[in-house]
Amino acid sequence: MARRQLTSTAIAGTVLKYLILVLAGAWMLLPFFWMFSASLMTSQEVTRLPPPLLPAQLQWHNYIDVSRAVPLVRAYLNSLLVTILTVIGILFTSSLCGFAFAKYQFPGRDILFMLVLASMMIPFFVTLIPVFYIVKQLGWLNNYAGLILPGVVSAYGIFLMRQFILDIPNEFIDAARIDGASEFRIYWQIIIPLSTPALATLGSFNFVGTWNAFLWPLLVAQSRELYTVPLALNSLRTYGMEAQFHHLQMAGTAISVIPAMLVFVALQRYFVKGIALTGLKG
Amino acid sequence: MSDKLAVSEVTLPSVRSRRRLLHPRTLWAYLFVSPAIVALLLFTIGPILFTLWVSVHNWNLIEPISQMPFVGLENYRYLLTKDAIFQRALRNTFVFAVCGVGANTVLGLLGALLLNTRLRARVFWRTLFFLPIVTAPLALGMMWAVLLNKNYGLINNLLGLGGLPTQPFLSSPKQALACIIGVAVYQYVGYYIIIYLAGLQGIPQEYYDAAAVDGASSWQSFRHVTLPLLRPVLLFIAVTNTIGALQVFDIVFAATTGLAGETSGGGPANSTMVVALHMYNTAFKFFRMGRATAMAVILFVIIFVITLIQLRLLRERT
Repeated sequence: MARRQLTSTAIAGTVLKYLILVLAGAWMLLPFFWMFSASLMTSQEVTRLPPPLLPAQLQWHNYIDVSRAVPLVRAYLNSLLVTILTVIGILFTSSLCGFAFAKYQFPGRDILFMLVLASMMIPFFVTLIPVFYIVKQLGWLNNYAGLILPGVVSAYGIFLMRQFILDIPNEFIDAARIDGASEFRIYWQIIIPLSTPALATLGSFNFVGTWNAFLWPLLVAQSRELYTVPLALNSLRTYGMEAQFHHLQMAGTAISVIPAMLVFVALQRYFVKGIALTGLKG
Repeated sequence: MSDKLAVSEVTLPSVRSRRRLLHPRTLWAYLFVSPAIVALLLFTIGPILFTLWVSVHNWNLIEPISQMPFVGLENYRYLLTKDAIFQRALRNTFVFAVCGVGANTVLGLLGALLLNTRLRARVFWRTLFFLPIVTAPLALGMMWAVLLNKNYGLINNLLGLGGLPTQPFLSSPKQALACIIGVAVYQYVGYYIIIYLAGLQGIPQEYYDAAAVDGASSWQSFRHVTLPLLRPVLLFIAVTNTIGALQVFDIVFAATTGLAGETSGGGPANSTMVVALHMYNTAFKFFRMGRATAMAVILFVIIFVITLIQLRLLRERT
C-alpha cells in the first residue's frame, strides 16, 4: 500500500515535471515558431484578426522579396567576412599573448598581465566614443578595417588562453627546443594543437558575439555596401514597423538567426563549457 | 666571508636579469605579446583615459582635440541636475537590471533544478532554453515587437482567446519597460541555467546521501545542502549579469525605435530610455561628446563599484 502511494506521487511528480517543461519549452519556442510561420504568410494573413497560426500557402517568395528590399545577400557575405576574420584575429592574438604570459620569463611580464586584467574590467561601451574617434582618424570609417580591427583583441581571450596553456607540460616545449625548433614553431606546432578545446570555446563565443554585434557596425558601416546582417535587419525595421510588413521582417529575421544557431548546435559543448567556465556573455 | 656572501646576493639577480633581457627567447616573448598589447592600448586602455579627458571638455567630434574648451565638471553637473532624460535613463537602467537579474536568478535556478533531474531527451530541452542566447538581441527585439504588437500581435490575440482584455504593451508608457525586461529575461534565462547546472553538477553526491541518511526531506536537502553550496555561483551570476544589464542597448533600440515615428528610441515618453541609448543619441545625433563621455564615466564608476564588491565577495568565499 505504502509503495503504491509512493509510486503514484512519483508519477504525479514526473507528470508535473514534464508539464512544466512542455509549457516553458513552448514559451521559449513561441517567438521562433511565429517568426518562421509569419515569414511564410501573405501581408493579408499577418494583419488578419485573429491571425492564423499557420499560413494557408507557404509564401517562399517572401525570402526573395526581402533580400531585394534590403541588401541581405551582400550583408551575409559581409558578416561572414567580418566574423571569420575577427575570430581568427582574436584566436591568434589571444593564444600568442597567452602563450608568452604562460611560458616565458621576461621583464615587465607581470605589469603587462595586470594591464590585461584591468582591460577585462572595462566595458566596451565606455570606450565607444574614443574608439570611434581613433578609427575615424585612422581613416577606417566606412571600411572593413574599421569593422574588423578594433575587435581582434580580447583581454578575456588572453586570460583564458594563458590559464589553459599554463597546464601544458613544459617537457613538450623543452623537447622541441632540443630538437632545434624555433619559438614560433613551438607555438604553431605544439601549443596550438594542444589548445584546441580552449580555442574552440573562445572561437564559438566570439563567432556568436561578432555575428550578432549591432552597435559598433551601426557606427562604422555607413554605406549599404558594408552592412552586416544586423544592420540590414535594422534597415528592414525602419523600412516599416507597420503590421503589413511583418511577414517580410520575420523572413529577414529568420535568415539572420540561422548561422549563429548552426554554430551553436555544432559547437554546443564548447559553448556551454565556455559560459560555465567564465560566465561571459556572447 | 659574510661580506662576500652579501655582495654576491646583491649582484646576482641584476646579472641574471640582464642576461634574461638579452636572451633571444625574451625577444620572442615581447614579439608574441606585442600584437595583443598594442591593440589593447589602442582600443581599451587609451580610450578609457581619453573618455575621462573628453568628459571635462566641450567637444563636437569634428573640432581638433587640442582646441576643445575645458569646462571642468560642468558636464557632470548638467547630467545630474538638469538632464531629466539622463536621470530617467539611469532610473530605468537600474530597474531593468535589478528586475531582469532578480527574475532570472530565480527562474534560472528552477530551470537548472528541473534539467538536473532524470529526464528523457535532456539535450533537446536544454537546447530550447539556450536558443535565445545565441540569437542576436536585435533580432529578438524585432520578434517580440511583432508578437507584442498592439493590434495584430499574437500575444494580444491569445489574451483575446482566453477572454482577457488586450494590452497596449510597448505602446504604453506604463507597460513598455516591463515588456523590455520580459524580453531580456526570455533571452538570458538559458545563460543562468548553464551556470547553475555547472554549479549543481559540482556538488558531490555524498552530501545528498548523508542528508538522506539523516532523514532530510528533499526540501530540507535543497535548503541546507544545495542552496548554501550554490551561494558563490549565485553571487557570481547576479553580479556579472548586473554589469551586463547596466549596458543594455540592442533590445531597447530594436523594440522601441521606429515605432509611431519615434526616432530616438526609449519611448513611449522616455519610459524605456536607458543610459547606453541616451549616450548614443547624445553623441551621434547631437554630437555632444563631453556630455556623452561623462555619462559613460558615471556608468563606468557604478560598474566598477559593483566589480569591486564582486571581487570582495569572491575573496570571502576562498
